Amino acid sequence: MKISSMRYLVHQGFKGIWKNRMMSFASFCIMLVSLLMVGISVLLALNINRIIGGIEEKSEVVVQIADGISDADREQLKNNIGALPNVNTIEFYSKEKAWQNMMENMTAEERALFDYADDNPLPDTFRLTVHEIKKMTETTTQIETFPNVETTRSPTAFADTLISIRRVLGIISGAIVLALIIVCLIIISNTTRASVFARRKEINIMKYVGAKNSFIRIPFFIEGMVVGVLAAAGALALTKFAYEGVYAIFNDDFTLWSVLGVSNLYPFEDLFPYVAASYAIAGAVIGAVGTSFSTGKHLNV
Amino acid sequence: MVEFKDVSVKYSSGVDALNKINLKIEDGDFAFVVGPSGAGKSTLIKLVLKEIDATSGEIVVNGFNLNKLRRRKIPALRRTIGVVFQDFRLIPTMTVYENVAFVLRVIDAPAKYIRSRVPYVINLVGLSNKAKSYPTELSGGEQQRVALARALVNDPKLIIADEPTGNIDPALSYEIVGLLKGINECGTTILMVTHEHDLVRHFGGRIININSGNIAFDEYIGGSNED
Ligand SMILES: Nc1ncnc2c1ncn2[C@@H]1O[C@H](COP(=O)(O)OP(=O)(O)O)[C@@H](O)[C@H]1O
Ligand SMILES: [Mg+2]
Repeated sequence: MKISSMRYLVHQGFKGIWKNRMMSFASFCIMLVSLLMVGISVLLALNINRIIGGIEEKSEVVVQIADGISDADREQLKNNIGALPNVNTIEFYSKEKAWQNMMENMTAEERALFDYADDNPLPDTFRLTVHEIKKMTETTTQIETFPNVETTRSPTAFADTLISIRRVLGIISGAIVLALIIVCLIIISNTTRASVFARRKEINIMKYVGAKNSFIRIPFFIEGMVVGVLAAAGALALTKFAYEGVYAIFNDDFTLWSVLGVSNLYPFEDLFPYVAASYAIAGAVIGAVGTSFSTGKHLNV
Repeated sequence: MVEFKDVSVKYSSGVDALNKINLKIEDGDFAFVVGPSGAGKSTLIKLVLKEIDATSGEIVVNGFNLNKLRRRKIPALRRTIGVVFQDFRLIPTMTVYENVAFVLRVIDAPAKYIRSRVPYVINLVGLSNKAKSYPTELSGGEQQRVALARALVNDPKLIIADEPTGNIDPALSYEIVGLLKGINECGTTILMVTHEHDLVRHFGGRIININSGNIAFDEYIGGSNED
């Protein structure tokens, strides 16, 4: 293909957008909204994963050991627990150390309350971290069946909430994505149909003078792709705006979140190249594919 | 060259448009196709362009066997043919120049060639001073001359004109056919459909008369302008 022909076809594509501007604008809007919704749910999922990851790293399961067992039994128990697949690290935390730690963290008045106690009321414990927080409950149930285990304590509540949010989000965004892609394709394909109709005379002549199908279709592809990429640019700008707003709120209240073991959100700069590339590719592909539905049967020689 | 062997066309509506037509048009010929409305003339033209397929029989056009021609090779066939329609079919948003240049762009001709070839053919049909006009600013005869320039521009072996004079003043019709004759003298085969008997009698030449899907008459007659 000659450069001059390519230039001509690209020009025709842009002209088509303008000629057909109402429909092009409708395509643009629906694609922008779709990309935005998909983008935001993906970013949300990414951050929830990051938070869950942070909790996984920090959250400890405390296993309370029966009082007065032998060192050999304790070593046995430690090995048994350490052998569980979900257990990452395991550390023995003696009651003396726990007592000392507790005392250090108390004010003088508080400490005075314990002056009468010459006996250490705290138990020996194992502190362990897990690989996967979603299997934490399963793991603690297993540990509780081992001999010499009194009880276990684990911070599963918050993690469980996040995990169920992530699951619901996954289902909803999957459904939304599917629905939106279909809507996008329908709208774009109708836009193209209108554009084909607007240019039917030219197309008719093109066929008589021996234009190849690909040649006739290229302007419509370009039309779809340009609208797609413009929608991607719009979606990117809005995503950046919205994300940075949320990020700022989160950052301000960070102390509150960090108490819960939550690490911070990804900064938008880190995500920008991926978001931009995904939007651009998705926009261009949906735009081009959408046009091919209606160019298929209308334009054949 | 156009060759029809026992070609029949039956439309899905049940109409028998052509019945076992046999026809041969040699390179360099000028043939008028005449006959009453509904005789099957346009059907014949559509077959040559492979807009429709014959129900039976064999067709060869400019070396392409249309029975075996794949869909994706149709553009290659059409690049050897120029077409002129009764209703001109110019693109209203393009100037005369663009309407003609458009054809060469479509077949991916070099820009340099387009720049020299387009003014040449526009001059040939006598419209150099109207190159920048839009079709609506032209008379019917002028519009048909643009269509002729468009059919000519990629130097086809065959030009097909389906009632090219049907929408223009009789006086201007002679001008159009005169142009086609001139093009024919340079070696291009011409197949022109018309039902204007005066024109045919005036110019003479090969007359193919179609009636109810059959060739009623296929002869050379002398033109009155040659007396
Ligand atoms: N697309 C079509 N479908 C059904 N019948 C058609 C079609 N085109 C033409 N015909 C019929 O075929 C016959 C020949 O038509 P046509 O070739 O257009 O005649 P002409 O050009 O000589 O006037 C007519 O009876 C016409 O009604
Ligand atoms: Mg006809």
